[in-house]
Amino acid sequence: MSDASPPIAPPGAGAALVTAADLAVGYSAAPVLTGVSFALHAGERIGVLGPNGGGKTTLFRALLDELRPLAGELRLAVRAGTVPQTERSRLDFPVSALDVALMGTIAGRPWWRRPGRAERAAAHAALRRVGLDALAERSFGELSGGQRQRVLVARALVQDARIVLLDEPFTGLDNVSAQRLEQLLDELAAEGRGVLIATHDVDQARAWDQVLCLNRRQVAFGPPAQTLTLDVLAATYGRSIVTLPQDGGERLAILPPHHHDHDH
Amino acid sequence: MLDVLTEPFSAGIMQRALLEILILGAVGGALGCWIVLSELSYGAESLAHGMFPGLVVAALAGVPLLLGGAVGILVAALAVALAGRIPGIGRDNSVAVVVTTLFGLGALLALSPDVPPGIQGLLFGDILGTTEGDLIAGAALAAGLLVALRLMHWRLLAVGFDRSSARAVGASPLVADAVLLTLLAVAVLVAVQGLGNLLVVAVLVAPAAAARLLCRRLLPMMVAAVAIAVAAGIAGLYLSYYAKVAAGASVAGLMVAAYLLARLGALVASARA
Amino acid sequence: MFEAFDYPFMQRALVELLVLSIAAGTLGTWIVLRGLAFYSHGVAAAAFPGLVLADGLGFSAALGAFGVALLFALTVGRLAAREEGGHDALTALVLVAALAIGVVLASDVFESGANVETLLFGSLLAIGADDIRLAALVSALALLATFVLGQRWLAAGFDPGAARSLGIRSPVADLVLLALIALAAVATLSAVGALLATALLVVPAATTRLLTRRLLPWHLATVALAAAEGTAGLWLSFETNAPPGATIAVIAGGGFALVALGRAAAAGLTHLRARKVVAA
Repeated sequence: MSDASPPIAPPGAGAALVTAADLAVGYSAAPVLTGVSFALHAGERIGVLGPNGGGKTTLFRALLDELRPLAGELRLAVRAGTVPQTERSRLDFPVSALDVALMGTIAGRPWWRRPGRAERAAAHAALRRVGLDALAERSFGELSGGQRQRVLVARALVQDARIVLLDEPFTGLDNVSAQRLEQLLDELAAEGRGVLIATHDVDQARAWDQVLCLNRRQVAFGPPAQTLTLDVLAATYGRSIVTLPQDGGERLAILPPHHHDHDH
Repeated sequence: MLDVLTEPFSAGIMQRALLEILILGAVGGALGCWIVLSELSYGAESLAHGMFPGLVVAALAGVPLLLGGAVGILVAALAVALAGRIPGIGRDNSVAVVVTTLFGLGALLALSPDVPPGIQGLLFGDILGTTEGDLIAGAALAAGLLVALRLMHWRLLAVGFDRSSARAVGASPLVADAVLLTLLAVAVLVAVQGLGNLLVVAVLVAPAAAARLLCRRLLPMMVAAVAIAVAAGIAGLYLSYYAKVAAGASVAGLMVAAYLLARLGALVASARA
Repeated sequence: MFEAFDYPFMQRALVELLVLSIAAGTLGTWIVLRGLAFYSHGVAAAAFPGLVLADGLGFSAALGAFGVALLFALTVGRLAAREEGGHDALTALVLVAALAIGVVLASDVFESGANVETLLFGSLLAIGADDIRLAALVSALALLATFVLGQRWLAAGFDPGAARSLGIRSPVADLVLLALIALAAVATLSAVGALLATALLVVPAATTRLLTRRLLPWHLATVALAAAEGTAGLWLSFETNAPPGATIAVIAGGGFALVALGRAAAAGLTHLRARKVVAA
């Protein structure tokens, strides 16, 4: 497998990778998220915005087939790969960065076969792509937050996931790591993958193709320039919006969430 | 000097005991790593204690211990699963109730009749009474367990590492749980003949816990756990032979001692750093 | 039918059980509430080598047992009460080590092999005045401590983080609880043995927990149930010539199963009735 995968389709064109129509999801009989309708196409980056508890994680779990829809429809063209928050993984687990990347090969081979040379090469290639091949043998728990994030991205790359879900990947990253990750996301999209990023950073989402605003229900979905109005943001975030002066005008920003998970 | 090392194993009894140590060391060390990493020590302890009535009934009825143990574990596992679903009471509490009751039932059966079925052998093991049949059965079960671990390795790894994203990479947490529980039952069955149902947890937890302090990656950890288990087991046989003390207890005791040594070593190492 | 209790040894056994049920009922509720079931099992089993040592070297059994139990409490118990995960392995290993050391001491060092079973499963029919005195002491202490420290124990169990920040949680209070449980476990040893202590300390409290959630009724119900189950077990073991400690354990377990089933049936009936109402 070469370092960068060839695109499967020109960005934006063709059948959608994910379609949701009036989707409702919940953990028991009562839904915690309703009215979700959107589509993700190859090469698109969708920023998923919303407060904690507003349904971002719930939506992701539904996309990963951990939760069945309570109403409406949800269709995925292929299995999604996930880059979860690194706190979800056990940092004391005896795995190296390479081991984590190799986990991406599990689905792709018959259950009795162990990772062979091709799989190991793919894992190394993916780690190289995210700039961490030198640390392949390092224990996962010893890596910094940004490095752990990138290893998990490598895992999704090894999986060759056409749909990639990233759950607040920029939390706690320093500028350099954040820029690196942004670039990676652009590359993923350019290859024809569909990328869904849950984030608290509205500015960041402006650079992407679509935004999906959730606050226990879908507030809005569409291109950021048209969608991120004051009304939409107010409905999504409640009262934690501030307006900041910018070059003689104004722009909207969201106050960061109260918990600070800073790790590097 | 060589005589000291070889003399104990000149008799068939001790030779079979040695082979039994190899078998249960391999099983306990390998699976033990997963038990320790998945924090199943309490579960292992509960199954081992809860299977007691099965062992007693087998001894009373003259049926092979393995059979009674298998039924006992099945009953215990079912009872624990059912009890865990009782709302309003912590899982640990309901498990404690089930285990106490089953254990009491076993004691009731074992102590009542006029001809007690050698209750101490069931509780503390009878490694010196290992028969060839035991060895064959144990070896077969051990082989099956090791093959299963090898096949399931990456799925268990993915689930243990991050349960919520395991499905995305193709590893089902439910299947992993079921496999681990089944293998745990198998491991208990393999080791219970030699160590008894009170001490069997020693081989399932101590070597792996010690190896965890020494190794940073899983495969070396498993190898180390097996090595520690077998080494402690053989040392236990020597201790039992020369000091004339109970074999099962010696083996179990030395395995725990190995863990304490590793713990101490880790403490010293971190204090120096 | 109750000629059983004409015998002095049965009367002593009954008194022991009734006195113990006060401690069992009082402390049992804390054990269940604070998730200390495994700990109490461990500390009782840990007392086993202490008993053997005391028996072999000729000093007070209670002292030997309590000494080791206290050691267990201070080391493993403190980890257990901290409500963090990962201590189960240590508890299991210390338990195993204690049993292994105990059986080696009993069978090979002091060669009191026959006693192993009585130490592990109790000798309720051989209760002496000392045992009853110890049980009374523990019960009194348990009542006193509950009165004095109950609030702290409750707060710490309910929300450890908040309790700490509010200054309610003090490590001393928890240590007292652990020590008391150790003492209670030692007191139950003569009655039900090192391996069945939880039959008195945990099972009745768990059973009554299914019936009530308020603390005082829970305390009282547990004491009553422990006394009832102990008495029933004692009487039944006499009639059937079965080991009394094990009989009590099985009866206690049966009681739990009955209550659990009863509750499930009641819930099912309510559900059924509700559905009938809706359907009608």
